[in-house]
Amino acid sequence: MAAKVISPIKPRVSQYGVDPKYVTKRISDYPEMTSVKLKELFADTPDVIYPSEKGIAAIRENVIKALEKVDMSMIKPGDSVNILASHHGFTLLGGEPYAEVLKTVREVIAERTGATDIRLRAGVGLRFRETEEYIKAFGLDVAFNGKAKGVAPIDKGIPIETEIGTLYGIAAVYDADWIVHVHNSDVREVHFHRHVDRAVKPFGMSYARIETRSTYHQNLGPRGANFTARAIFASEFVQSKFAFATFMNMSPAGVVSIEADNDLLALNEKITADGLRYYGKIMTLLGEIDECIAGLDFPAPVPYVFAAGVIFANFVGANVDLFDLDNPLPPYTWYTEAFYDKSGKPLIENVPPVNPAIKMVVHNYAWGGYPSAFFAHQIPTVVVGREQADLMDRDPQNLDYMKYAVIARDLDSAMAYAYKVAKTDKVIIFDGAAGGLNCSESLAEYLKAKAPEVSRRVDQELLPKWLRQRGIDPNIFKK
Amino acid sequence: MRVVNMLAQVDYDKCIGCQTCAKVCPVLAIKMENKKPVINAEMCRGCAACEQRCPQYAIKMVKREEPFTVYVDPSTVDAEKIEELCKKARLHPEQIICYCTATRAEEVAAAILKGAKSPEEISLQTGVRTGCKVECIEPILRLLEAAGINPEKPDGYQWYGRTPTVWEIPESVKEKYSSRGFYFEEDIKLLDKVLAANSSRKEDK
Repeated sequence: MAAKVISPIKPRVSQYGVDPKYVTKRISDYPEMTSVKLKELFADTPDVIYPSEKGIAAIRENVIKALEKVDMSMIKPGDSVNILASHHGFTLLGGEPYAEVLKTVREVIAERTGATDIRLRAGVGLRFRETEEYIKAFGLDVAFNGKAKGVAPIDKGIPIETEIGTLYGIAAVYDADWIVHVHNSDVREVHFHRHVDRAVKPFGMSYARIETRSTYHQNLGPRGANFTARAIFASEFVQSKFAFATFMNMSPAGVVSIEADNDLLALNEKITADGLRYYGKIMTLLGEIDECIAGLDFPAPVPYVFAAGVIFANFVGANVDLFDLDNPLPPYTWYTEAFYDKSGKPLIENVPPVNPAIKMVVHNYAWGGYPSAFFAHQIPTVVVGREQADLMDRDPQNLDYMKYAVIARDLDSAMAYAYKVAKTDKVIIFDGAAGGLNCSESLAEYLKAKAPEVSRRVDQELLPKWLRQRGIDPNIFKK
Repeated sequence: MRVVNMLAQVDYDKCIGCQTCAKVCPVLAIKMENKKPVINAEMCRGCAACEQRCPQYAIKMVKREEPFTVYVDPSTVDAEKIEELCKKARLHPEQIICYCTATRAEEVAAAILKGAKSPEEISLQTGVRTGCKVECIEPILRLLEAAGINPEKPDGYQWYGRTPTVWEIPESVKEKYSSRGFYFEEDIKLLDKVLAANSSRKEDK
C-alpha cells in the first residue's frame, strides 16, 4: 500500500503565477504516487531544527543563540542598519522560517545596540515585485515598522571599486551605516555558481545592479562567474559597512542550524562544505535516474521548483556532476544556452546535453518571471490549462515558452498524454515536499535501490574531490 | 527578434509624478510632461520595467490589439563586418546574448552597423533588454565599444558602464584565488574555443 504523500507547498497568490483557483489538482494526488523520505534513502541525513515539533519557535530560539557570539559593538544607538535579504529564502519550506530569521535578527540588533533605524532591503531575481509580495505575506512591513522594501537590479545604482575594476551595487542596499547579510545555504542554482563561495553570492546578485549580474552571466565564465560576488564583498566600500552575517543552514530535509559570524569568509567555508555534504548525495542520486516524467507543481518559476530540496534546473543538469569543477560546462546555464548555434547544434564539442532521463515535463503549476524557453525547447513539455499558457505568453521573459510546449485541458489529460508518449511510469514531482520527495512508487523503489552505492561513492570519492577543488580541508567536518 | 504584444498604460489617478518609470525604461519610451509620464506607444516594447518599479502601482500592462515584431536581419549587413565586430567584443556571432528573446550577438552587431549608437537604440530595434531587463547589458556595451562608440548615458538608471571580462582579470587576482575554486584560466580557454568555433552559416556554404 502506498505511503501517504508529503503535502506539497500550496499555490501562492502572486502576479507571477496563475490564480491558485486554477490549480485544482496536484500531481501528488494520484494513487500511484508515494513519498520517499531523505532518511529512508540516506541514514546519515542530518537531523533538522525545522520542520520539527517545536515549530517556528525553534528558528527564533536558534537565531538568538547563534547571535550570542556575534560582535555588534560597531553599531551605535543612532546608526542606521540595513538587513539584507534575498527572495530565494522565502521559497524554502513555505517561507515562514526565513521570515522568522529576519524578524529575530532585527529584534536582537535593536535590543543589543539600541539602534532604532533598522531597515529590511530584500533583493529579487528577475521578478521585481516578488519580495514585496513576501514582505506583505509574512508581515515584515509591520515587523520592521514600515521600513521594509524590495529592491530590484534596475533601481538606482552605486559604483563599487573592486580588485577587478568597477562593479555596481543597488544604492538602496548600501544607504545605511551598516549592512547585515541574512541568507540561506541551500545549493540552489549550483549549475551557475558551481557551489564556489556560496555564502558570498548575493553580493553579486541580489544586492547588485544589472551591470554586475550581466558580468556574472556574460563576462566571466561558467566557473569564474561567482568571483563577481567575492570582488564586491572584498571591496573597501562593502567592508567598511559589513557588520555580520546570519545564515539559515539548509539540508534537503530542512533547516539544520542557524549560523552567524562577523567573518563571512569563515562562515562561507562552513556553508560551502555543509552544502556539499548535505546535498551531494541527493544530487548524485537524482543523476542516477534512467528515465522519468518530471512534474512541475510549485509556486516558483520553472527552473526553481523543488524536489528533495533540489531545484528542477539542477535536475536538468543531473546527468553531469555539477559540483565537479573539472566539468567545464553544466548541461544548463546561460553560458551553455548561449553556445547553441542557430541550427540548434552546439558551437563547440563537449557541450553536455540536458538530462536525457527526462522524457517529458508536465507543467501543472509553475510561474513565469524567468527565461525558461530553453527548458521547453530541450524537453517535451505539456502545460496544464490555458491560463498558464496565457501567463507565459504575456511574460516578457517567456514569449517563446509556448512555442515549444503543448497545452492540455487538465492534469488528467496531461498525465495520460505523458505516460503514453514518455513510455515510463517513473514520475518525480517538483512540488516542494519537505524532508523527502513525492514520486511514483516505481521511482521510489528505484531510488531506494540505488541510494546505498551513491552514498558510498559520495563519501569515499566525490566529497573529498569537491572539497579539494574549493581549497577546503576535508577535516573541516571534524572541527 | 522580439514579439511586442503588451503595452504599458498609466493610471493618472494613482500616479504621483515621481519619474521612476521614465528612469528605468530601457528604450526611453516614457517622457515626463507636466510632471506626469506619457508613454510613446510606438516605442514601448512591453518589458514592464515601469509597471514593476512604480511605487504607486499606477502602471499596468495591457494586451496590444496589433502585436508586432522587432528584428534587425543580420543577412542585410556585410557578414565579415559582423564577424569582425563580434570577435573584437569577444563574442561569437551566433552566441545568444539575450535569453528571453534568444537574440544572438550578430543581430546586435547588425543593428550597430546599421547605425544604432546606444543600448537604448539597440533595444528599440532588436528587443534585447526588454525581457528580463537585466542580463544582456554587458555584451551590448562590449559590442558598442568594439565599434568605437562611447554612448552617452541617459538621465536615468538604464545603465552605468562596462564592467570587467575574464580576459581582463589581473594575474595577481588569478593567482590569489586559483586554489579557491575560481577556474579563470580554464574558463578563458573554454570561451576562446567558442570564439574560434565555425558558425553554422559558414558550414551551410
